[in-house]
Amino acid sequence: MIDWFTDHGALKPFFDGVLQGAGVTLYTSSSAFVIGLLLGVVLMVIRVAGGPILRSLVIVYVSAMRGMPLLIQLLIAYYVLPPLLGINISPIAAGILALALNTTAYVSEILRGALSTIPLGQAASARALGMRPWQVWRFVLLPQIFHRAVPPLTNEYTVLLKASSLLSIIAVTELATVARNASLQSDLPLQIFAATAAVYFVMLWCASSVSRRIERHFSGLLPNVH
Amino acid sequence: MFIDLGIVKLATPALLQGLQLTATISAIAIPLGIVIGTIAAYMADANRKALRAVALSYVELVRNIPFLILVYLSFFGLPKLGMHGSAFSIAIGTMAFYTGGYFCEILRAAFRSVPKGQIRAALSLGMSGWKIQRYVVVPQLFGFLIPPTVSLTIMMFKDTAVFSVMSLPELTYQSNLMTADTFAYLEVLGTTALIYWGASVVMETFGHAMEKRVRRWSHR
Repeated sequence: MIDWFTDHGALKPFFDGVLQGAGVTLYTSSSAFVIGLLLGVVLMVIRVAGGPILRSLVIVYVSAMRGMPLLIQLLIAYYVLPPLLGINISPIAAGILALALNTTAYVSEILRGALSTIPLGQAASARALGMRPWQVWRFVLLPQIFHRAVPPLTNEYTVLLKASSLLSIIAVTELATVARNASLQSDLPLQIFAATAAVYFVMLWCASSVSRRIERHFSGLLPNVH
Repeated sequence: MFIDLGIVKLATPALLQGLQLTATISAIAIPLGIVIGTIAAYMADANRKALRAVALSYVELVRNIPFLILVYLSFFGLPKLGMHGSAFSIAIGTMAFYTGGYFCEILRAAFRSVPKGQIRAALSLGMSGWKIQRYVVVPQLFGFLIPPTVSLTIMMFKDTAVFSVMSLPELTYQSNLMTADTFAYLEVLGTTALIYWGASVVMETFGHAMEKRVRRWSHR
């Protein structure tokens, strides 16, 4: 069975590229997610505790990132930003940048939603105990926010993993690009795209089962938080 | 860096024409997807095991496959299976299929929010299955349904941009044509982005207004 698949000449370009493509897909979506997590925390804190001007800037940014298709954001990151800033960036960097800036907006909203479930009195009593504002965030609020935000955050990661297929539009050789090229070469779109769908399915399935494990791990960590 | 307003003015009519197709696709495919999703949700809660399995695997399929791959699969794959249709109808079908999977999940979550005891109470009062749905379950669902359905609608509206890879002349495709003509990436892509953004904000505002209206009906 496996011999038939690998020896079948027409599908060879797909099997040659699929592992590398899946690797690029994982790499781009994961690095964008890490950047998005960091920036998302910053945006959430500004949105909650910043001055009126900074706060409205964050509101506009989040609305813009959530209101435009990722595809348009990718095209802007690839075609508009480099000449505007006078820099040269590779397609893969532009792709990660657009994915990260997009996910930052969603992450900040997820974290803000988690914050809204924490009783207001906790921050006030922490201040009354003499904690500095950053200590209140670091020791009281952020641990609980992350604890509550694990399920939606892992869901956001799977969304990102799926969305990274759009990087094929700006010529990043990730999984969808490999599939499209192989389909053009072999004229077997049905087999190739079905196989691609299966590869994505397995990747996303693994990601969500890992996330369930993380969830269980976290639910044991903070017994008092409910 | 200057913004050439002349190009913005030149590009806007073509972009608005693209928006018209984008809106048409969304206006047909999303309600169709809601119908499919509703059927799937009732199937997923049915007593027959086979029905449940079909509905649940449909949802898993949609949730775990990128929209782009599904678009490729239907645009390149369906003709190989002997199903020929216009690009427009394939786009509608693909988008409705995708929307349905997500809406099924939304509806199932809403079902769970209606306490089981109410259904048992209605049964013991002698109400028929249809009457229970009509008078007990469905009226309570709307409050839970509207926020996620609005975000699903906006998500699918934005996802129509993917159809540009299949040369369907919607908003993103028109924008690509314009940038290929003028090389004015900043102006054309900026205008396109603003059009999408504006449409999303309008939908969101409409959704909030609807949410407010429906909240009057809930007791909690």
